Amino acid sequence: MAQVTQALPRPKQAPWQRRNLKNIVLITLASVLPSLLAIAITVAFSIDGAIGLVAVFLPIQILATVAVGQYLYKKRGRQDAVLMIFTIFFSTLVVVLLTSVLVSVFQRGAAMMRLSFISQNATYISSTTSLDYGGLGHAMLGSLAIVGFTTLVTVPLGVGVAIYLTESRSGSRGIVRSLIQSMSGLPSVVSGMFIYSALIVTGVSHQIGLTGSLALIPLMLPTVARVCEEALRLVPGDLRSAALGLGAPSYRMFLQVVLPAARTGIITAVLLGVARVIGETAPLLLTVNAAANTNLNIFDGPIETLPTFLFRNLSYGTDNSIQRAWGAALVVLFLVLIIFTLARTVGGDKKVAKPKKRK
Amino acid sequence: MAAEQTKSGSTPQRRTLTVKPTLLGDKVFFGITSFTAYFSIALVGLVLVFLLIRAWPALQHEGINFLIGSTWDDSVQPMVMQIFPMLWGSILLALLGVLLAVPMAIALAYLIEFLAPKPIARVATLLVDLLAALPSVVIGLWGLFVFTPVAEGWSELLHKTLGWLPFFANETGNFSRSPFIAGWIVAVMIVPIITSVTREIFSQMDRDLINAAKALGGGMASTLTRVILPTASGGIVGGTLLGLGRALGETVAIFFVLNLSFDINWFDVSEARGGSIASMILSKLGEATDYEISGLMAAGVVLFVSTLIINFIAGYIVNRAQPWRK
Repeated sequence: MAQVTQALPRPKQAPWQRRNLKNIVLITLASVLPSLLAIAITVAFSIDGAIGLVAVFLPIQILATVAVGQYLYKKRGRQDAVLMIFTIFFSTLVVVLLTSVLVSVFQRGAAMMRLSFISQNATYISSTTSLDYGGLGHAMLGSLAIVGFTTLVTVPLGVGVAIYLTESRSGSRGIVRSLIQSMSGLPSVVSGMFIYSALIVTGVSHQIGLTGSLALIPLMLPTVARVCEEALRLVPGDLRSAALGLGAPSYRMFLQVVLPAARTGIITAVLLGVARVIGETAPLLLTVNAAANTNLNIFDGPIETLPTFLFRNLSYGTDNSIQRAWGAALVVLFLVLIIFTLARTVGGDKKVAKPKKRK
Repeated sequence: MAAEQTKSGSTPQRRTLTVKPTLLGDKVFFGITSFTAYFSIALVGLVLVFLLIRAWPALQHEGINFLIGSTWDDSVQPMVMQIFPMLWGSILLALLGVLLAVPMAIALAYLIEFLAPKPIARVATLLVDLLAALPSVVIGLWGLFVFTPVAEGWSELLHKTLGWLPFFANETGNFSRSPFIAGWIVAVMIVPIITSVTREIFSQMDRDLINAAKALGGGMASTLTRVILPTASGGIVGGTLLGLGRALGETVAIFFVLNLSFDINWFDVSEARGGSIASMILSKLGEATDYEISGLMAAGVVLFVSTLIINFIAGYIVNRAQPWRK
């Protein structure tokens, strides 16, 4: 006699997903009431907003959430409540700090934005000259020249290192990778001192654009090499094996199969590298002489760049020069944003392959 | 031929397999790439060599006092150069920065990976990456004109309420340009790197492990403290060390918000006396004499060697914590 087992109807929601009305009401109350109460207290005792936020709102919010957690889920609820507050508080802190940077730069920099500021250079401009005259055109061109030359040198180097790390089977790849990785933490001022001691103190060269370009190379190289390595690594091994199996030598396999497949990744690497060095100030302060006129020749004469223009105007300390510094900050930020967005759109949402599940 | 040989019983001669390139094209290809790799490595060595050559006179003259003494006097001949206050100042700033940045970074990484819905997580990731790309000089500008006034207020409040703690005591009545403010600036600069390493580790974690903890009745908090953090601890420590290395090397942002002083400030974080090797180099190198340059180069060597060691250890730890990268 066959035994018939009737399957129970599958519940619409898993048991742990069930929320009843009581829970929802209590949790909503715990999230809304404390802020209202805190606002009331802050206004009633006329406490300063920021202090009220930390000294009044935070304790009340923690108490309320912990109480509701305790009532609903006992110890577990209590702990989760504290975790929730901790996470949201610190995350908000980071977001607030970042937003503050962005908003202040946009606000104060926007006041400086005018055609003359973008297009003119700073010849005959002192720190007290009216803001309607003079600008950072020369600094933008100088940055372009210096960073451009750095890119020209660094990209082949960085891509070469990445190829060495992914394509060759050499035994010293581990140590090369570690050293490149620790190079990414090289303090920018040390990179400047390197060129200063190697080329300028020894009298090989004056403080010209070229020395600045060279000082940026060690800073850009690790970024390019690392991002490029990731991009090459994402190309499936099967493609390589297929090319080699068809009889292609390694260099043609790389040039005709791997390189086209990793093209966008390499462009991203270049863009991120440029974004890394476009705002570098300390090495350029040590290795490049300031200029007020436009100079595009990195092999001769002083030359100005955006970050050093910002730095010098900030150091002058007059109202007008500080206003110029904010303007320069906005331009730098704008450039970084553009490069960043480009890198995102070109690179897309690439992710390292997830590890295989543990057996 | 080969088939005949096997038929007749004799085995074909054993070939040794080699990974050495044989074709000319391959030789050139791998030659160039190896050259770039070794050149990049040599660059690290060159930096050290050139700094050391230039630093040698000062190092030889001062000896170990260069590191542990605390006078910087250019009125005597030859001038005395000892950098302990700056060294300690750098360490203090890095510790403050890490202390402030680690909770922020862990909270943000946890929020992005485990709590927030997809769109919010994506926006938060974008913001963190953007924060990482902000130039140090822009942060310095912001720190000087926007953050310092706010932080001064908080610093004063801490002094009034917690002034009995030695850390927040301040008898001078001046709260600007203090290590407290510079520590926050450093924290802002290193939050992104710690967050991105931590987030990467969190995102690659075995979800079964977390689900198992939940199935055993663990709440969010106990899952985090008993499962997620212990599993990810290697990555978090590595990320923190990377942050520490960045903090030591931070130059321009600190230059604007910190008052450098050769009077050792052990832990009065709210007083306007602080130190930072990198900022000191920047402020003195412009008008330094030859011998003083030598001392500054020696300070650069100290900075370079310490960050290199920290980064090397950090890289090792992070790599070990991410076995899927191999």
